[in-house]
Amino acid sequence: MPLSFLIPAALAGLAAIVIPVVVHLRRRPRSKAVPFPSVMFLERAPIKSEQRRRIHYWALLSLRAVAVILVVLAFSRPFLTDDSSLASAGTGPTERVVLLDRSWSMAAGDRWSQASAAALEAVSDLGPLDRASLVVFDQGGEAVVRSAPDATRIRAALDTIVPGALATRYGPGLKLAQTILEDSELAAFEVVIISDFQRNGWSGDEGVAFPEGTAVRTVSVASGEVDNHALAGVNLARERLGERERVTPAARIVRTGGAEAREVDVILELDGRLVQTRSATVPPFGATGVVFEPVTLAERHTLLTVRLPGDALEPDDAYHMVLSPGRATAVEVISAPSRGTSGDLYLRRALEISDEQSFALFGSGSVIPDEGSLESRQVVLLNDRPYPAGAEGERLRRWVESGGGLILVAGDRGRWSEEFGDLFPGSLGGTVDREGERGERLAGLDFDHPVFEPFRDPSQGDFASARFYRARDFRVAPGDSVQVLARFDDGSVALAERRVGQGRVLVWTSTLDAFWTDLALKPVYLPFVHQLVRYASGRNPTIEAFTAGQVLDVADVAAMESAGLGAVAEALAAAEERVALTPSGGARDLVTDRSFLALDQSGFFQIRPPGQDEVRPVAVAVNVDRREAELDPMDPEELVGSVGGTVGTGAQGTQAPTADALRLRREDQERRQSLWRYLLVGALGLLVLETMLSNRLSRKGRRGGRHARATS
Amino acid sequence: MAHARARSDTSGAQFLDPRILARIDNLELLARTVVNGFLNGLHRAPHLGLSMDFAEHRAYVPGDDVRHLDWKLFARSDRHFVKQYEAETNANVVALLDVSGSMAYGSNPEITKLDYARFLTACILHFSRGQRDRVGLVTFDDGIAEFVPPSARNLDLSLHTLARAEASRPGALRPSLLQATERLARRGIVIVVSDFYEEPDSVLEALRLLRGRGHDVIAFHVLDPAERDLPGGDSTTFEDMESGDVVPVIPTRLRAGYREMVEQHVQTLLERCTAERMDHVLLDTSQPLDHALFRYLMIREKKARSR
Repeated sequence: MPLSFLIPAALAGLAAIVIPVVVHLRRRPRSKAVPFPSVMFLERAPIKSEQRRRIHYWALLSLRAVAVILVVLAFSRPFLTDDSSLASAGTGPTERVVLLDRSWSMAAGDRWSQASAAALEAVSDLGPLDRASLVVFDQGGEAVVRSAPDATRIRAALDTIVPGALATRYGPGLKLAQTILEDSELAAFEVVIISDFQRNGWSGDEGVAFPEGTAVRTVSVASGEVDNHALAGVNLARERLGERERVTPAARIVRTGGAEAREVDVILELDGRLVQTRSATVPPFGATGVVFEPVTLAERHTLLTVRLPGDALEPDDAYHMVLSPGRATAVEVISAPSRGTSGDLYLRRALEISDEQSFALFGSGSVIPDEGSLESRQVVLLNDRPYPAGAEGERLRRWVESGGGLILVAGDRGRWSEEFGDLFPGSLGGTVDREGERGERLAGLDFDHPVFEPFRDPSQGDFASARFYRARDFRVAPGDSVQVLARFDDGSVALAERRVGQGRVLVWTSTLDAFWTDLALKPVYLPFVHQLVRYASGRNPTIEAFTAGQVLDVADVAAMESAGLGAVAEALAAAEERVALTPSGGARDLVTDRSFLALDQSGFFQIRPPGQDEVRPVAVAVNVDRREAELDPMDPEELVGSVGGTVGTGAQGTQAPTADALRLRREDQERRQSLWRYLLVGALGLLVLETMLSNRLSRKGRRGGRHARATS
Repeated sequence: MAHARARSDTSGAQFLDPRILARIDNLELLARTVVNGFLNGLHRAPHLGLSMDFAEHRAYVPGDDVRHLDWKLFARSDRHFVKQYEAETNANVVALLDVSGSMAYGSNPEITKLDYARFLTACILHFSRGQRDRVGLVTFDDGIAEFVPPSARNLDLSLHTLARAEASRPGALRPSLLQATERLARRGIVIVVSDFYEEPDSVLEALRLLRGRGHDVIAFHVLDPAERDLPGGDSTTFEDMESGDVVPVIPTRLRAGYREMVEQHVQTLLERCTAERMDHVLLDTSQPLDHALFRYLMIREKKARSR
């Protein structure tokens, strides 16, 4: 193998070889000058000049010269050329990206072992100049190894990677691979995608486009039908018993695969203890439900888990929730005295109908509660009655300003006196009858507002079917705190809101019964009333279980309230140090500037300020995304086509190597051999040897000088 | 060197060892000690030479100083005669001391060439003053540094000037001696003490200036033993004490040639001085001072006889 140089121009530095010669000749006599009366005879001596031009210490000179040569050679980056390697350059070195799916569906059967083997195989044939990256992806993408020159690091990384708890999303991983390829200087690109190619992870609009000519190879580990049973969800029917609540968990079990019905034991755990076991028969490709005996929620943050026996895909065999009692919204419904309770029949029934007992209804007449009772209410709903005047009105105003929610359903009798005009978003006028028998419809709904945001999707509720025959004229008051949430076809106001202090006042200009509108007869009535009251209360819906992949900001009080952690939200937000214990037993520090907790494992995350041993730790339940259990595969070629790649292993070995390819290959060979390191070490050793020899000769010279003076 | 060592072992002569003399700060004391000790060792009269020698009688003529009448002869002959004496009186003895930088050299740190020259000059001036000579001193490097005119009263001043002399500047013989010649109007004995690090032609040209004015010139050529033998080992860089020139040499290889060149230089000066009727005395700073003084006296005696 001939010797080549990556930077041959550096060989010009060999001219520096004259430096030690010159130094040797010029500096050698520069010992400490000895004063002498006159040098007239010395300058006259012919032997003097001859001596100066002679090189006495050939060994020293040789060492210095060789050291210089080695340094120059090191900087010229020598390497032994391997012609066979150069000939195989083909289109040049290849940047290979191995995309490995680590979503939890990859834990099914032997998919993960197949995937790991495929990843190892994908990097087993790396050429000397090739580079390989390992990107694992689920809902996000992570470059575990980026542009490594050999497979060693990838092999090591594969030993530590296991399927996670997140679902499949092809977009992030493909995007990361695209970035790696775009950043690469190599001549050819190749992507190997190893996945079970679940269809629900692919949206088709990921916006990924690999560089032109990228060869994409797919390795599918989808192994046909998987007989998997899974807990699709757990519903809780709540029942209030005084200060306590009883919940009746009902689990829904689905099964994909199988040929015969399967008998399974469904387990209910509370705070980690087995409470009940139910048997269920799950038909193939079917679903069934299991209802447990009611259990009492006595304490906050009760950990509830429903489990199925393990099967091929275990992550979806458990469902976790965190439950707390006493979360119902207290609503005081006050109607006009003359209407009695019959006037708010629809309203009351709508609020009573709730599986989870979300609302606690109070009030049975037209009396405004006293101050003590108001404190325990979140919402006061004035149904077709005037806003109270005098002291009652002031009491209600103070309650609203301190955070209460007031809903005034105008009806025929709704009004307020001048002194409370600043409490409402406008002023009510007379009754307006809508045209003909067809009435008006709700048209201008603000779907960005929390009241109507759940109805953005038409499948979630259709307000267009409701007719409004009569409503009150409403003139909106100017001000930033006033907002119109819904209008009728003619542009008149149907629902308006005003923020007052920490509370909210909403005015509905029609009625919420069946007199002026048929909204109460429409399916959307019930969720609308729930949402209206829930918004007025200012309380966010409690999330009893998160989905893996979500992020919780423990410093955000509102987010923590949503997570059912409102009782400790402020304390946690104020704490400078927080610790989260993960379901796998690890601990994560959540310091002030890193308050985001990535919920990337299935189970219960426990959060607490360090050093505080709570009897019942604050917990967040996290479940895997159930959609990941749908293992229907997609056609990998569909994916390949959409990212702009070409199916196959790329055009290797047939084309003549390009100049860039050869250059890169030479660089790679030089880098692998790294001869310059040995040369520098050799030069250093020679310089050390030269120093030792020089010192020895110097000492010898001094001894010789003393001896000469002594003898003279 | 063996000769010097033998002499330094003799009684009394030990005081003439330059290394011992170097410990005496007072130059006058040093000179007196050396001269008296030296003369005692010779067992000679302290006052050599004649400064007032009788020549003849002549007949008195009016106008002659009556104090010069020889009354004894008048008593015998009843005629008046006047005594006549030699015309010359005391001689001028002027020492020209080289204080150029090279004179500061001394392989033996106890005594430099300048020290040795200083002792020698002090002794000669003291000795000359004992002979009733007028003594003076000129120190020079590349010109006259100090000038003490010859006088019967200037011994102390001369010794004081000697004591203060320091060798530091580059030297140049000819301009210095030319200036001295111009300032020494009266003939006398001129002692030049130097290391004569110039080409023989240049040295002789300078000395010839003095000789041309009728001075009796004695050149004391002072050299350190190391100067004659070249110190240093395998590789030594020598720096000229006057010019600062640096010459790297290998003394071990150069030594023989160097000795030969120095000896040749000295020999040339000796021969050329003798040919020009000047005296050249080579002095080694390792030799006792009596050797130099002895040489000086010999020269003085020789000159007195020749006169």
